[in-house]
Amino acid sequence: MIVKDAVCPFCGCLCDDIEVEVDGDRVVAVTNACELGTKKFMGEKRLKNPILRDGDAWKDITYDEAARYAAGMLLSAERPLLYGWSGTHGEAQCVGVHMAELVRGVIDNTSSVCHGPSILAIQEVGHPGCTLGVVKNRADLVIYWGSNPIDAHPRHLSRYTRYAEGFFLDNAFRDRKVIVVDVRKTETANIADEFVQIKPGGDYAVLSALRAIVRGKTETIPRTVAGVTREQLVRVANLCKGAKFGAVYFGLGLTMTRGKYKNIRNAIELVSELSRHTKFTISAMRGHYNVYGSNEVNTWMTGYPFGIDFSRGIAFYNPGETTAVDILARKECDAALIVGSDPAAHFPRKCLEHLAEIPVVQLDPYPNATTAFCNVQIPVAVTGIDAVGTAYRMDGVPIRTRQVLSSGYPSDREVLLKMYTLMQEGKGQ
Amino acid sequence: MTYLMITGRTVNQGVTVENKTSAEYAAETSTCFMHEFDMMELGLDDGECIRVTGPCGEVVMRVSASEEVETGTVFVPYGPYANHIVAAGTHSTGMPDFKSHEVEIEPTDEEPKTVHGLMEDLGGLAYDR
Repeated sequence: MIVKDAVCPFCGCLCDDIEVEVDGDRVVAVTNACELGTKKFMGEKRLKNPILRDGDAWKDITYDEAARYAAGMLLSAERPLLYGWSGTHGEAQCVGVHMAELVRGVIDNTSSVCHGPSILAIQEVGHPGCTLGVVKNRADLVIYWGSNPIDAHPRHLSRYTRYAEGFFLDNAFRDRKVIVVDVRKTETANIADEFVQIKPGGDYAVLSALRAIVRGKTETIPRTVAGVTREQLVRVANLCKGAKFGAVYFGLGLTMTRGKYKNIRNAIELVSELSRHTKFTISAMRGHYNVYGSNEVNTWMTGYPFGIDFSRGIAFYNPGETTAVDILARKECDAALIVGSDPAAHFPRKCLEHLAEIPVVQLDPYPNATTAFCNVQIPVAVTGIDAVGTAYRMDGVPIRTRQVLSSGYPSDREVLLKMYTLMQEGKGQ
Repeated sequence: MTYLMITGRTVNQGVTVENKTSAEYAAETSTCFMHEFDMMELGLDDGECIRVTGPCGEVVMRVSASEEVETGTVFVPYGPYANHIVAAGTHSTGMPDFKSHEVEIEPTDEEPKTVHGLMEDLGGLAYDR
C-alpha cells in the first residue's frame, strides 16, 4: 500500500508531501523525504513492551503496571519534573500540562536547550515572522545565520529557499540571493552567494555593526568586526537594503553561544531596522518536529512557553530557575517523567548524575541513552507513523500528521491519559 | 593544547539519532572534527584517539580532519560524548554553553567508550547491550 501526502515527523519543516510504501506493519520505501526523514519512517528495533529496572536487571511488565508505577511515582514526588514533549503530538502535550498541574510539578520542553533563548528575545522585542510559503513565493534574499540546513533541515532549501520556485519571482534560482553567516564553512556555506565567516562568539558584534551601517553610521565601523571586514559588512547591508523581501533564518549558532538571547534580540532589531527600508522577516529554524507545538500548547494552557513551575499552585516561569538543566544540576527534582526526548544524550553530565539518583519513567518507542537511567520505559507509537496527532511547523502552522501503518502500540496520549486517570483517582478527584 | 569546542547537528548524527545504542551513532557522536594543521601540531592522523578534557571531566573521541573548522576550533556532533564534558551552568537562561567550551586535547591510546559505557559510568544500567 502506498500512502500519499504523509507528514514527516522529524524536523520542524514537517514536510507534508511524503509518499510511504507500507507492507503489513513495516515501511518498505519512502519517497520525497530527506535522509533524516527516510530513516525515521524506516526505523527499526523498537522496544517491544514496557520494561522495569529490577536491581541490575530488566524485566518485562504490562502497560497497566507501567502506568500504575508512573502515577505512583508522580503522586509521591515532592518536586517532579515532566520533561521533553517536543517529539510528541499536541494532544499528548495537553495531558502533560494537566498532569504537571495536578502534582504541582515542573513541566519543561526541549526548547529550553534549543530555541528557549529565542523565545526570551521574542518576549522582549516581538517576532516579525511569516509563514514559509510567504518566503518561498516572495523572498529575494534569504540569510541563514548560525544554522546549517543542509545537515539539520535538508529540505528547507529545496522547498522554500535556494532551490524553490517562487510565485512572485521570475527565476527564483537566479533572482533569490542566499547569505550564510557561520563560524564554520559548512556545506550550506558552499551553496551561498555570500558567506560571512565570523569568529566564534562574534555574532552580537557583527549584528550591531550591520545595524549601524543600515542606520547610515558606516564611519563608526572598524576595519574588521569579529573577523569580518568592513567592506563585506557594507556589501551585506546593501544586499539587505536592496532586497524587495528579505528573510532571516537563525539557528542554534545564535542561541547556544555567548550572549544567547541577546544575540537573537539584536538580530530581531536588525530586522526591524531593515524594515524601515524594505520588507524583512526573521524566524527560528526549529529542530524537533513539534517543539513549536510544545511552546504553543504550554502557552495556551499556562501562559508560558516552557519551564513552567506549578509548585505554588499557579503557573510560574523563570528560565534559569525552572528549566530542566538547572533543576537537574541543582539536584532539585525527586522524580522525572520523560516524554518524546532523550536528555541523557543531550544534557550535561551533571544532570545525568542526578537522573541516576531519582526514579525516572520514560515514554519512547526506542531504547535510547535515557533508558539506562529509567526505572520504567514505556514504548509508544510514533506520531506520524503509527499514530495521528497535531504538530506545529517551524512557522507556527499546525499540521495534522497521518497514520501510515498500524502497529498495536498505544499513542503517547493514550498512555498519558491512563496515568492521569490513575493520578486523579489517587488524589480523590 | 586548548581549543574551542563547538557542538552541532550533522546528517550522520540525525540519521542515527533514533538508534542511539548503535555503533554508528557512537562513531558519529564521538568524532571530533579538527583542522589538519592542529592535527599536525598534535601529531595526529585521521581516526586516531584523543582525550578531550573540559570543565566537567574528560572523554575519549576519535579525530577527523575537516576543512570546515578553523584552527583553534573543534566541532563535535551533538550527543553523549560532547555532553560528558559540558558544564551545566546556564547563566540564568536554561541553556548551557553547548557551543563555547574551552577544552584541552591530547593524543591517547585509549579507545572511545560505548554509549552504554558512558551511561553506566554515571550510574545508569544499559538495557539492550
